[in-house]
Amino acid sequence: MAEYFGTTVEDIFRTQDSRFRPEGAEGVDVVVAYNISGAGGGRWKLTVKDGASKTEKLKDDDFGGFTAKMSADAETFVGVAVGQLDGAAMFTSGKLKGEGDMSVLMKLPMMFTKYMPPKKGITAADILATAVERFRPDMAGDLDITVGYKLSGEGGGEWTAVIKDGKCALEEGLRDGLTVTNIASASDYVDLMLGKLDPLVAIGAGRLQLKGDMETAQKLPKLFSKFIPPEASSGPELIVLKKTISVDMKYSTGRMMGKFLKGLKEKKILANKCPECGRRQVPPREICAACVCRAEEFVEVGPEGVITMIEYVYYASPDPLTGETRETPYGVAIILLDGCEGNETMWHLLKSDELDSFKRGDRIRPVWAEERTGNLFDIKYFEKVR
Amino acid sequence: MSAKRAAICAVAQLPFEKAIWHKRIQEMCFDVVEPVLEQTGVKFCKKPGDGGIRSIVTVSDDVFDARTISNNAIQDAVGAHNRGEDKVAMDGINAIAYAVSCILSGHDDLILLVGHCKESQAESRNMCTNLAFDPFYLRPLGLDFETLNALQARDYMAKSGVTDEHLAKVVVRSRRNAAKNPVANARDEVTMEEVMNSPMAYDPLRELHIYPQSDGAIAMLIAGEDRVKEFTGKPVWVSGFGNCMDSYFPGDKDLASNFPLKKAAKLAYRMAGVTDPAKEFDFAELNDAAAYQLPMWAEGVGLCADGAGGEWIDGGGMEKMNVNPSGGMLAGNPIMLGGLARAAELVIQLRGDAGERQVAGARRGVANGTTGAAGQLQSVLVLENDRAGR
Repeated sequence: MAEYFGTTVEDIFRTQDSRFRPEGAEGVDVVVAYNISGAGGGRWKLTVKDGASKTEKLKDDDFGGFTAKMSADAETFVGVAVGQLDGAAMFTSGKLKGEGDMSVLMKLPMMFTKYMPPKKGITAADILATAVERFRPDMAGDLDITVGYKLSGEGGGEWTAVIKDGKCALEEGLRDGLTVTNIASASDYVDLMLGKLDPLVAIGAGRLQLKGDMETAQKLPKLFSKFIPPEASSGPELIVLKKTISVDMKYSTGRMMGKFLKGLKEKKILANKCPECGRRQVPPREICAACVCRAEEFVEVGPEGVITMIEYVYYASPDPLTGETRETPYGVAIILLDGCEGNETMWHLLKSDELDSFKRGDRIRPVWAEERTGNLFDIKYFEKVR
Repeated sequence: MSAKRAAICAVAQLPFEKAIWHKRIQEMCFDVVEPVLEQTGVKFCKKPGDGGIRSIVTVSDDVFDARTISNNAIQDAVGAHNRGEDKVAMDGINAIAYAVSCILSGHDDLILLVGHCKESQAESRNMCTNLAFDPFYLRPLGLDFETLNALQARDYMAKSGVTDEHLAKVVVRSRRNAAKNPVANARDEVTMEEVMNSPMAYDPLRELHIYPQSDGAIAMLIAGEDRVKEFTGKPVWVSGFGNCMDSYFPGDKDLASNFPLKKAAKLAYRMAGVTDPAKEFDFAELNDAAAYQLPMWAEGVGLCADGAGGEWIDGGGMEKMNVNPSGGMLAGNPIMLGGLARAAELVIQLRGDAGERQVAGARRGVANGTTGAAGQLQSVLVLENDRAGR
């Protein structure tokens, strides 16, 4: 199956129904046809009706009736689904085409949570496949041996490395009369090869068993150069080095932000007020930027307020602390809390399962977390006042 | 109309501390802006032509602040809201040159300069300075400013006859001077034995040879000649500036050659009309992030003969030339503000405000600032007061 961006078209459709969000599809009654061309492509049909979704793969070209149809090549489709390609740009460039009721296509991100490609690890088979090229004839000399690998569990299997005349060949299955046999779980073998598991520890704990001629077994590590995972090397030049820049930081809140956060713990939203212009700032800061003076008077505002602006986010930036992309779509509101005026607004999240129903001017209130620690998410989100 | 010269009219420093953990960087900045407003009576510009501050030059570093475009975060505290602001992401001594350029070019006649740096915010300042190096070659080798300084120290000490004992003398004297400087960070006096027995950190540099972790902020008001009288009766004139850059890759350079500092000094002296630095300066402030740099920079700015750092210390050169009355960077200034703090001390001395550590009759002083490890970029500033007679 053709892979793009580490996943396949098939995987995206196979998981589609499990990612369905009934709250994002209230009153929706549509049929969406997908025509995905190129390797790994195919035709799928999605039916959303009565708060349920059904995704089916079609054997032929006959979609029957549909509300909207999306056509793309497999690479573009996957790229947009995993957030590696910009959907709007693909539409503009014509790589992603829609026909029928386009508004249905625009609503799809509301109806399904984002597809997350499975995190793929290196398998034992991947590592053994490189054994021949990692073989070092200079270290093997005139050795004439057979080495078995009996690896259990997921990703496991049985292989034999045949070393003779300064050459190494890899065969599937175990030969009879092996000089040495390595017995381990496939995942332990991968960890051993990546240097995550110490061989002596593994042998001591019985997680790696070596059977046969021990003298030969001790020579084995020297017969192969170290396995380097593929992402670490990609050709002889124009190498891209992947690194995370990371320096732990200790951010001081200072008096003003500190008191604001402590206020949240006590279910209070605090603003500060400028002694010169009377302007409020949420959250409070030491200085009024407009008057360039200290502004240290606190006033309690809210907790209810009115939405002045809403933004729905469909393509979220990854959280720098975890590398995970937060679930989309989510809604951010600019809120004019009671007691504030003009641009004296606060920003926060909107309740995710009511996203469709918010509009400018709605009165909203904070939903407080049960356990509050003096943190912005002591307010979980804002919800409508009913 | 552009001014012919510019003067520093006021300076304020937040006392340097190991960790100003109880303040945000914004409040640290305003803590130095406020006294400058009080000292000079200057106001922020509200409408064009009212004579208030309209241009601000700041000094900060994105990695130390852990914030992209670090100056954006402090705009409220430096009065930049609705006004103009430029950031210098190098040693703040270069921001003085930038401010003066704005004035001499006629862009503006009044500049507020605000620098801050909070080394304590990062788990380790060495992790931050490691990021100054390229990711393929120098970072993996583990270079940071201190390891590269140590390489330079070894090279320089061999060349100039500077010993472990000389370095101890530098540190002992720094602490003694810092004890009289109310804004210095490391003010506890130490003995020769304590320095010489302090643990080896980056051979040949011992722990006490290296400036302590420091947080702080500095502000200055700089005005064109025509406006100086509005703000002070004791202006400190910027009479010379020069800077010069060495190679980025340490393997490309002779670490002990000192050429960037010599060249920067030459440019500054030509502008200031200084021909014999050893005689014409009443005092000097040298940016000694590590003890070996005091004699090395003294050679570079011409207070000491080339290659004679060891003898110069033995002969009482530091005292005779009044080097680092503030205690120097060794007494603790954050990395972005090393040279700016040197310039601040020049201003305080030239205004006669240095109290117990006042250099009697100070008329003209020289300061240097360094950006990068081992003095990669050297900047030299000459300041003088009205008694210098120009």
